[in-house]
Amino acid sequence: MNKHEYISSGILEAYALGELSEPERREVEHHLAGHPELRTELDQIEAVQEKLLQRTAITPRNAVKAALFARIDGQPPAAKGVSMPSSEARMWKFAAAASVTVALVSSYLAYNYYDKWKRTQGELTERIAQSQRVASDYNQVNQRLDKIERDIHIIQNPAFKRVALKGTSHAPASLAYVYWNEDTREVYLSVHELQHLTRENQYQLWAIIDGKPVDAGVFDGGDAGELLKMKEIGRGATLFAVTVEPRGGKPAPTLETMQVAGPVEKG
Amino acid sequence: MAEEVLQDVFLKIWDKFDHYDASKGKLFTWLLNVARNQAIDKTRSREISKDRKTDDIQNVVSKIDNEEYIEQRVDSIGVKDILKDLPREQHFIVEHLYLKGYTQSELADEFDIPLGTVKTRLRLAMQQLRITLGVTTT
Repeated sequence: MNKHEYISSGILEAYALGELSEPERREVEHHLAGHPELRTELDQIEAVQEKLLQRTAITPRNAVKAALFARIDGQPPAAKGVSMPSSEARMWKFAAAASVTVALVSSYLAYNYYDKWKRTQGELTERIAQSQRVASDYNQVNQRLDKIERDIHIIQNPAFKRVALKGTSHAPASLAYVYWNEDTREVYLSVHELQHLTRENQYQLWAIIDGKPVDAGVFDGGDAGELLKMKEIGRGATLFAVTVEPRGGKPAPTLETMQVAGPVEKG
Repeated sequence: MAEEVLQDVFLKIWDKFDHYDASKGKLFTWLLNVARNQAIDKTRSREISKDRKTDDIQNVVSKIDNEEYIEQRVDSIGVKDILKDLPREQHFIVEHLYLKGYTQSELADEFDIPLGTVKTRLRLAMQQLRITLGVTTT
């Protein structure tokens, strides 16, 4: 093959224009592969062609683009799938992997939040119980405080007579006080020290009026220092005494079990 | 009709893109060949089916528009300047092959020029254009 003649024939220009038949194309491509000079020549022809045609370029109306995309959308899917089947499959794999990941992450989060919610629920119940305990403690303290305030009022009130009941020979260490308001007939007892009683027995307070014992109520040992409200009694009591009696008390005192006694000071 | 062809060309490029082989030539050349063949096929098929005679007025108008458009482009300063240095017969060949959509054999038949002459004239014109367009010889 004479390269110069081959080039001069204008076959490369025809090739670049796409004018050749399939056998002619293959022949040209065969020569191009073997002769770099032909390749260089063709490159330049292509460059000229491109530059020339770029000068004549016309921008199509925008409607063409819209119509084109409308046509692409209208095509059967097979036509679109051909050009990139592998990337589409990859995309599906990726999508599947992504959705599995999302599912895993969200179930983990869901479990996590359920767990947290459970624990929070437990803590809340505990806190509620705690605050209820605190409230009832506060109530008790409040009531106790009220009681103490009332007791102080009674102790400080000059209308109440304070009667010291000292231990008898049966119980020399025992001590109790009676606060008695003769006008209102109220009687309060403050136990300082009394012997422990069996369950069958109770203490009973007596007032001696006109030489006769009058029942002023029964009581258990009681808290030391606190005032116990006793039965009201009539006027003119001269002595108070405490005896041990069977539970519920008796109409007349058992003098052998007398624990404490003390006279009412005249005043 | 030009717009219709343009759409066809885009779809064809889309479908056949995996046939493009970079080792055989520039992408532009490949695109040009697809586009040119598509355009030529389209005009031929219309001629054969005598479509032109039954064309509605819209298409006739747009065809005229497009033809005028091409005339304008050929006469426009850029291309005119590029082609002005060519001898008349080479100018004629380039204009018809690249801008008016003739194939080499159509040109030979219609204007009674031997096909070999068409080819060599194009060859000479392309060599001249290398200088005009500044494509360097390496």
